[in-house]
Amino acid sequence: MFKKVLIANRGEIALRVMWACKELGLKTVAVYSEADANGLHVRFADEAVCIGPPRNIESYLNIPAIISAAEITGADAIHPGYGFLSESAYLAEICEACNIKFIGPGPQAIRLMGDKSRAKKAMIKAGVPVVPGSPGVLDDEEKAVKVARDIGFPVILKASAGGGGRGMRIVREAQDLAQNFRAAQAEAQAAFGVPDVYVEKYVAGPRHIEIQVMADSKGNVVHLGERECSIQRRHQKIIEEAPSLAVPEKLRRRMGRTAVEAAAAVQYVNAGTIEFLLDKDGNYYFMEMNTRIQVEHGVTELVTGRDLVKEQIHVAAGEALSFSQKDVTFSGHALECRINAEDPWNFTPSPGTIRHFFQPGGPGVRVDTFAHEGCEISPYYDSMIAKLMTHGRTRAEAIARMKRSLDVMVVEGIKTNIPLHRKILDDPDFVAGRFDTGYMERFLPQKKATAAS
Amino acid sequence: MNLLDLKEILQILEERDITEFEMEQGGVKLRVCRGAGRAPALAQAPVVVTQIPAGAPVGAAVANALPAQPASADAPAPPSTEPAAAEGTLVRSPIVGTFYRSPDPNSPSFVSVGDTVKVGQVLCIIEAMKLMNEIESELAGEVVKVYPENGQPVQYGDPLFTIRTA
Repeated sequence: MFKKVLIANRGEIALRVMWACKELGLKTVAVYSEADANGLHVRFADEAVCIGPPRNIESYLNIPAIISAAEITGADAIHPGYGFLSESAYLAEICEACNIKFIGPGPQAIRLMGDKSRAKKAMIKAGVPVVPGSPGVLDDEEKAVKVARDIGFPVILKASAGGGGRGMRIVREAQDLAQNFRAAQAEAQAAFGVPDVYVEKYVAGPRHIEIQVMADSKGNVVHLGERECSIQRRHQKIIEEAPSLAVPEKLRRRMGRTAVEAAAAVQYVNAGTIEFLLDKDGNYYFMEMNTRIQVEHGVTELVTGRDLVKEQIHVAAGEALSFSQKDVTFSGHALECRINAEDPWNFTPSPGTIRHFFQPGGPGVRVDTFAHEGCEISPYYDSMIAKLMTHGRTRAEAIARMKRSLDVMVVEGIKTNIPLHRKILDDPDFVAGRFDTGYMERFLPQKKATAAS
Repeated sequence: MNLLDLKEILQILEERDITEFEMEQGGVKLRVCRGAGRAPALAQAPVVVTQIPAGAPVGAAVANALPAQPASADAPAPPSTEPAAAEGTLVRSPIVGTFYRSPDPNSPSFVSVGDTVKVGQVLCIIEAMKLMNEIESELAGEVVKVYPENGQPVQYGDPLFTIRTA
């Protein structure tokens, strides 16, 4: 087991990793930019090293500074958290070269799953269902039409260099394809610099269902069930929950098995998440794999009773998984609301100093945060300031706990999206589980109109 | 500028905890330094790269770069005390690593207190990731103080030398 873990991150996830390290009796090293000199992760760590000025590229993304910090403190492991360098195959390689254990998968798996095209090919090879589509970029509209007919309409044209929802066109009829294809190429060229476009089956009204997996270095791979992440805006998740109302037990077993096979096929080690699109008929398709611990890992912890970050550390230290698939059980229902420092209706960021802060508590409430009274929410970093999670024996109880928690959570001095969460939790469609990835797009215009009036 | 204006300015500076302030108006130049000796003027440190967010006043950048509140009792102790600005210009570490005063254990130090240095002259080595980074002086002047011990780990922004320019 390690003696000292350097946490190459900040904010709430740095604290989350720190709690796991403290429980395991490991020493912790925090790294920080000058903007985070008073951050809680700095104050609660055993040692702290300033690695640069506020800009990410000079601090939290600065590999030489981070490795150097590990060297001067004698850290023997680095946990990258999520975001920042957590999916940097380069950092994973440098750690290997410097004899520091990277708490995560190996560089090859990171690199493979980070390349969407290669990842999809690897999944097809492993027999994992993927969204049917063109094998690669399409050169001309004739090929595009042929592929689209083979897949079946509606299809979606996607820019290869695009992402985050940009550079996509839905085509419902064959006669519209050629013209849309030409337009998509022109848009791709203008927006991303390359006209590369590919075709995929358009999965209408899908849900975003992801499966948590955990693998050790001895070939054991397990899944810990799904998370429902359809409540998102511009591909940013807002509310997550486990389990999903759309995933009955049999489907969970099938998707879980698929996720385990996917991870095993790429010799995956440590924590990972396989994202799927689930259509209305119960068909699921591989979207991508995230080779890191995720923001929303807490809802899985709440329904399974397992500590995923401690397991990451055990696995990285060479130990076998502390549980097998049959030991994984699910109890109750968990929800997470991401509390962001932003205007609740127009989403503009709201940095500033938190003048008053009160965290909800009581039964079934978990708050992961770095925020506190007097805390400076800086414009340099992500706007998420807290993850408010609730757990209940039923979804109704989890929702009730979330509502009463949002009602008493005080964050004064900056704006937050707490009012937005409150409205969503009152929405009959949300409560009934009637939603898919298009939910926020439909919900927001009505709510904005009400808020403005 | 009359006494009342001055009082009002000082009050505002105190309310907002601004440590340095300069203004020119009607042929009068006013410069206020609060808490003298507590922290060196960041703007004069040659080696530090302080990012000023676009559009933000310089005062805000200084506030972001140096914590306004005193460190809590639980915070890890800073490796060295902040030197007074009056002696010269503070040279701060631009990287994280291990500080060495000489090119190797058998050679004399690059510089000692009392030496005169030129722009571009190597002051020390900071080892990071097995690479020996030579830290060059951006000033010409006399070395007044050396802060870290030989072989001491340094973080970004730690004081290395004070150089008194001519």
